Amino acid sequence: MHDRPYIRSRWFEDIPVGEFHVFGSHTFSELEIIEFGKKYAPEVYHTDPVAALDTYHRGIIASGWHLTAVWMRMMVDYMEHFARGVQDGRRNGAGLGLQDLEWFEPVRPGHTLIYTYEIIEKSDKVVRDKWGIIKSRNEAFNQYNNKVMSFTIDILAERNPESLS
Amino acid sequence: MPVYWGDLNVGDNFVTTQSLTLTRDDILEFAAEFDPQPYHLDKEAAENSIFGGLCASGWQVSALMMRLLTDTLHEREIAILGVASVQQVRWKLPVFVDDSLDAQVTITDSNEASGQPGVGTVDVNVEVTNQNQAPVISVQNRLLIAHAPTEAAHAR
Repeated sequence: MHDRPYIRSRWFEDIPVGEFHVFGSHTFSELEIIEFGKKYAPEVYHTDPVAALDTYHRGIIASGWHLTAVWMRMMVDYMEHFARGVQDGRRNGAGLGLQDLEWFEPVRPGHTLIYTYEIIEKSDKVVRDKWGIIKSRNEAFNQYNNKVMSFTIDILAERNPESLS
Repeated sequence: MPVYWGDLNVGDNFVTTQSLTLTRDDILEFAAEFDPQPYHLDKEAAENSIFGGLCASGWQVSALMMRLLTDTLHEREIAILGVASVQQVRWKLPVFVDDSLDAQVTITDSNEASGQPGVGTVDVNVEVTNQNQAPVISVQNRLLIAHAPTEAAHAR
């Protein structure tokens, strides 16, 4: 029995500042690090495990944009899980922008990241007559519990029409 | 001849020489792996969404920014060691099937990297535009660039 709204079916007004989620984890294989690197960041330290040993990074590491792409996948899977069959409840919208994206430690083949987010701010601004803006702080930690990535992001969430009338 | 940190100056401007064109398959493949939401996977759902048509995940557009930046740095043999951070990303317009992307790269700041002898940072603003010269994403990156070998030896 669920007496609270599903995550994805909530209006902007229903999402509280301070809400915190541990929403996914992913282990990065050497193969997927190389595949992503070849397409989007073809530096030897992302694509060639041997040549990478002689670089600044002393071995192959995942592209920082690979870590954010997996962040998105973890988020979608988490939202789907909590949507539980709600077909028309998609009240989250596009991302507008992000700030202060930092990579603190390299992610090497076999490393596992745990992703978290916290709602930190809700703007009063109304976008295109129906959307509110939610800011969250997002972090990823590796298997040694060291923070490897952090950023904040602004995402649209649909306003409750009653609050706008 | 490699280009090192000391060779780069605030105000330097690079433009990509090779555009990247995004096919439907490129968009669907990335979306299936990283962003399986209807507006990145399904034409009809996309047309009814805020985007108005099938478009690339914003994270694919960010990654393509990195590809355009990497290609531009390689072309000029700039001795990049990595990306330290990204101060800001702004997604300005959706990227649709068959859009063709270019990047303008401008150096906005340059500093020694603290605690890392032989390494400097260079801040670059990357503006990615589509075939209509409309900006689709704007990204402020902080790059790690190697000093020339002699400078590095001297710093130690």
